[in-house]
Amino acid sequence: MAPLPFSPYTFIQCPCSDSTLLARPADAKSPTGADAEEDERTFDPRAPRSNYSLYPLEYLLYCEDCHQIRCPRCVSEEIATYYCPSCLFEVPSSNLKSEGNRCTRSCFQCPICIGPLSVTTQETRHPDANLLSADNAATPHSGGFSLTCSYCHWSSTEIGVDFDKPNGIHAQLAKIRNGGESRLTAKERKERRKELSHRGDSAAAAAAREEIEEQVPDLENQFANLKSFYNSQLADPTAADNGLSTLGDLGFSSPSSLSRIMNLYTGGKISDNKAKSRLGAIREALTPEEGLLVANLDEAALISQLHQSEHCDTASMAQITSQPPNLGEPALHGASRFTSSLRPIPHLLRTKRSKRCPVCRHIISKPEPKVQTTRFRIRLVAGSYIPSISIKPLTLPGPSGSSSSNPSDLLISLKPVHYLLTFKNPIFETIKVTLATPAATPGRFPSKVTVLCPQFDIDANTDVWDEALKDNDRSDKSSRNSGGTTRQRRGTEAGYQLEVGKIWERGRNWVSIVVEVVPASLRLEDGGMLREDEDILEIPMFVRIEWEAENAGDDGGIVPGAGGKDKDQKEKRELAYWCVLGLGKIKQN
Amino acid sequence: MSSKRHSIVPPVSQSGPKPPVQFSSSITIADSAILTGANLITISTESVIHPRAKIESLAGRINIGRRCVVQERATIGAVGSAGKITEAAVTLGDYVTVEVAVSIEAGDTIIGEGTTIGVGSRVGAGAVIGKHCTITPHSDIKAGVRIPDYSVVYSNGTRRVDKRPVAEQLKYKGLARQIDVLRRMIPSNPAKFM
Repeated sequence: MAPLPFSPYTFIQCPCSDSTLLARPADAKSPTGADAEEDERTFDPRAPRSNYSLYPLEYLLYCEDCHQIRCPRCVSEEIATYYCPSCLFEVPSSNLKSEGNRCTRSCFQCPICIGPLSVTTQETRHPDANLLSADNAATPHSGGFSLTCSYCHWSSTEIGVDFDKPNGIHAQLAKIRNGGESRLTAKERKERRKELSHRGDSAAAAAAREEIEEQVPDLENQFANLKSFYNSQLADPTAADNGLSTLGDLGFSSPSSLSRIMNLYTGGKISDNKAKSRLGAIREALTPEEGLLVANLDEAALISQLHQSEHCDTASMAQITSQPPNLGEPALHGASRFTSSLRPIPHLLRTKRSKRCPVCRHIISKPEPKVQTTRFRIRLVAGSYIPSISIKPLTLPGPSGSSSSNPSDLLISLKPVHYLLTFKNPIFETIKVTLATPAATPGRFPSKVTVLCPQFDIDANTDVWDEALKDNDRSDKSSRNSGGTTRQRRGTEAGYQLEVGKIWERGRNWVSIVVEVVPASLRLEDGGMLREDEDILEIPMFVRIEWEAENAGDDGGIVPGAGGKDKDQKEKRELAYWCVLGLGKIKQN
Repeated sequence: MSSKRHSIVPPVSQSGPKPPVQFSSSITIADSAILTGANLITISTESVIHPRAKIESLAGRINIGRRCVVQERATIGAVGSAGKITEAAVTLGDYVTVEVAVSIEAGDTIIGEGTTIGVGSRVGAGAVIGKHCTITPHSDIKAGVRIPDYSVVYSNGTRRVDKRPVAEQLKYKGLARQIDVLRRMIPSNPAKFM
């Protein structure tokens, strides 16, 4: 198998991994100032920590107030809205607490293949339909409704569930057990109990007990039974019959010891009168009515079912884990093992989130609260603040062309290659870029790196049309700049030699420079193996950009020496960060 | 009326001799369907062959049942990698729908009554698909595989059995209606192949 062709990449390091920066936000405004030893240390892209701080430019945000890059890891997120991805209805967060994080309308996924389920009328048979005769008149719908998957043809009738109404499926499903048997929800049961207790006579109570006993011990009503039992135990401490508790006062099973322990924390007096009076012990549940559930250790039925079924009849791990919590399933032995008992999955809700800067708490990304819109109200992406860097192998035609190779080719050890780095300025000011790289890349195989032009200016990102109309003045402009490092691209046929300190090419808001790399030799003396990705040539590069911005006036973030603090005065800004350029793979021999 | 859309695909060249055919009088077969091979092609009552559907009888007899729909660019009787010549290359039961760009390879391949073969699927030589199966789009049925009745093949060959209450009559009725519409939309020219 041919390896995938390598495409060059640029990753930018988010400063959040330097714990010092987050701790001292004041430094963010003058990064050149304080920590000298921090600046002198070369960033190592292979260090284990680097994995967590390198991001492509597109992933990064920018805080306008701190003037700092923010990565997905360091922003703090807030949930703006919850919505169902299927029906795109917003769910209020108050509903979320009571109803859970699933869509409570009629949005369901197939438990077999996760395709969307649709509500269909149940097909009824027509014995009189003639096979090859003309079509019958459409019969009025008679049966119930069911959920069907149009992909794998699963239908809720397979688990014996069908619905009376085509809407409010979630509420209907909660009341139906697999097989079509209806069950009481917690609320209904509570109401019924209340009703019976109001009547007060013993016959009604007996009826209630009977009813509880004949109920399938599902998760919900077992929990309800246990809860009411323990509540009654706590309320009635004198209940003496305790066959189980032998620890008496000292154990944790008596209300008195419980209240004593609680008193330790709340600071009340241990020798409380109230606590003294509570000397009885809490006993355990003894009857099903109290919430006792006897384990059914005889799994013969299940095993014989397994014997009769094929592999495809048993539910896969993914299918089981995607099942919603089903309060109606029997406790202890409830988890469904067969695909025949899987229930439809209500769609999980999704969120829209806004992001805040961790330091100054300003919002740096905020979506429109409306679910249907995909736009953002605020979105400060780093791409519109810091220059993008694109990498292209430089091929020089002619005999001097030492690096005439395809981009997909592997780099050959010790053979110098040239790369064109194009910096594109997104802001409306001219920026001054200063680059720094270590002379040799860190790691076991140091490749030599030379940036031929480490300092240059990039023109502002002005209006494209203005620039096009101004095209005639171009020559003037270049002559104005020619005192510095700036030049237009050198002669097309004559030149082509690389000059140190000269820009390769420049355009409206971009500049290309050349980097010369001598790939390291990947030979190991002891004949050891290369570690993972050690053949990839990655260059750490420190980028520092400087520009003059309009004084915002509110933050006072002016570098001393930049002039007065007048409103119309321009202030000097700078931003510095590490980035990693992945150039290519070195050929192994 | 010049509002007719013209295909940019060059016209299909009907090369070689015409295969022997046995058509029911009520079939609908488009002018640009392609029938090749040397063995008998039988198409039964009310079946519809879309334009550019290809039926090859190079490797044996092709039998298409009643009320079948063979959609565009479907190939029935493709000589696959096996390429063996058998008596009955492909047999489609009644009410079979072969969707767009399906390839059914020759070699005693049998597709049962009421089965739907989804878009872009491939049915290998000698596969036997039962009655009322659904092969979801882009499935690959390997050569010689037997698929029991009422199966659904989905998501890269996962299989399950469709346990819904059988509603064949309803399905047949829907298909009959579809054929009724198709018959009006596809100009039939069986004489071309006779």
